[in-house]
Amino acid sequence: MMADVLLEITALSRAFGGLRAVDDVTAEIRQGELVGLIGSNGAGKTTLFNLISGFTPPSSGTVVFRGKSLAGMKPHQVSRLGMARTFQNLRIFPNMTVFDNVSVGAIGALGYGLGHGLLGGTKRAGEISARAWTALERVGLADLAGELAANLSYGKRKYLEIARALATDPVLLILDEPAAGLNDTETAELAGFIKSLHADGGTILLVEHDMGLVMSICERVMVLASGAKIADAAPKVVQADPVVLEAYLGIDDEEDA
Amino acid sequence: MAVNASKPLLRQLGLLAVLFGAIPGGLALMGGGYPFQIGITALIFVTLAVSLNLVTGTAGLLSLGHAGFFGIGAYAAALAATKLHWPFLLTLPFAGLVAAAVGVVVALPTMRLISIYFAVATLGVGEMIHVSLLNWVSFTRGPMGIRSIPPIEVLGFDLSGVVGGYYVAATVAALAIFAVHRLTHSYYGNALRSLREDDQCSAAMGLNPVRLKVQAFAVSCAIAGMAGAVYAHTASFISPDSFRFEESILILAMVVVGGLGSVPGAIIGAILLIVLPELLRGIGDFRMIAVGTFMFLSIMFLPKGLLGEASAISLARRQLGAAWRGDIGAGWK
Repeated sequence: MMADVLLEITALSRAFGGLRAVDDVTAEIRQGELVGLIGSNGAGKTTLFNLISGFTPPSSGTVVFRGKSLAGMKPHQVSRLGMARTFQNLRIFPNMTVFDNVSVGAIGALGYGLGHGLLGGTKRAGEISARAWTALERVGLADLAGELAANLSYGKRKYLEIARALATDPVLLILDEPAAGLNDTETAELAGFIKSLHADGGTILLVEHDMGLVMSICERVMVLASGAKIADAAPKVVQADPVVLEAYLGIDDEEDA
Repeated sequence: MAVNASKPLLRQLGLLAVLFGAIPGGLALMGGGYPFQIGITALIFVTLAVSLNLVTGTAGLLSLGHAGFFGIGAYAAALAATKLHWPFLLTLPFAGLVAAAVGVVVALPTMRLISIYFAVATLGVGEMIHVSLLNWVSFTRGPMGIRSIPPIEVLGFDLSGVVGGYYVAATVAALAIFAVHRLTHSYYGNALRSLREDDQCSAAMGLNPVRLKVQAFAVSCAIAGMAGAVYAHTASFISPDSFRFEESILILAMVVVGGLGSVPGAIIGAILLIVLPELLRGIGDFRMIAVGTFMFLSIMFLPKGLLGEASAISLARRQLGAAWRGDIGAGWK
């Protein structure tokens, strides 16, 4: 059982001043899982995400990815270990073409240094280009490869960001609120796409605000409230959990009413 | 970038034909001497603009002290030539190495700064270099400058005249253009461009932003240093006055007018801003106003410069914005 644990989070906390944004979270993600992480705004989802991907150092606790502790690792080192992420508020490279955007993921993973640049490095360039094309085809943006990323529609930019992450050939793909700003049709399409990535053997952590998306595609759902993990079970179980209903869904109901 | 390399050999040969045939031919028709001097100056600034473009245009690091590294190269070459009697073929790489070494020393602590603070840091470094050249009299002779820098002689060929100087400056400029073009049109260029767009995001893709920025800065400083060597040997006299903040801004203006991130843009920008004031000599004191107006209009109507891939305004906005929003921390990432 231990052998196929990909990501192991133990007693992870992060405080900003007096605020405990992430409070003693313990969780694990196993190879091949599609796990959802939900929580209302301010529950600590993005902070937890940033702790895992090396963008924020934890106040205490540990994160072990593929058997290696991520303590003190920089984001690029975490990425090279095989963890790829997208960003909540869409961070593409607007003044670069779609292809060049995606190539950055492959460059980061395969490496293309000053020497390669000056001396040609055609073999490595071939590998990078092949990987970028594969990722572009996977998300269906190959036709727009030469287009400037800034010219893409909002929905296409989401896929561009995922393609860039896929080009790193990740062991674990973390998607930060991919459905934010998408309408129902687009969200349904995205759900299908994420499921197909999972069907291909990808391990995915889906950080989401959109309950519907998470509940419909994830095998397991973790719920954060006020920085603490209050549930970690199959979607059906979580949806019936009174603690979750009170902390998360209950608040939603009040807002709606 | 790497996807659309169209007929590179033909374009390279064309550039070489213009640089080594058409332009000197034209300059000779215009009466030799002085036109060739302008040609040398223009080529030195082409080299400088192309090198700054790698850092500012491609990697998105606003550097306000480029003339400082130009000066370091010029002084390194001048001192090596006058005190150690090194030939040009040694002082040229030596000037590049010294400027690159100083660049790395400057870059290592400052690259972790948010870009706008980096710009301020480079401004300070440029001034420090100028003040050091001015006041370290025992080593640099201070405001008296260095005289009688030997003219260029390469493997027994005497290139001391303006025509010889032109060909040397053209060769160094061509090498700089070739190197920078090669870097920016490879995946290495894509990595640098991604830093300009969003360096945190590049890090999430596995790129090491600090390392890439230090490298790009070092390469840029090395090229600027070699431009300094060409300047020292062709002018035969250098003083700290040639390496002030004004020169740094002039080089930056060339990059912005030509277009951030575009190598041909930097070349055209440099030629315009050197040749334009010369062509306008007829209108006397008004010429700098005319040049200023030209720069103003080009920013107004061509926000991406003549051939740029990113606008100067968006670069500045992003850099100032990151500092003002404070979302990357108080000065450090």
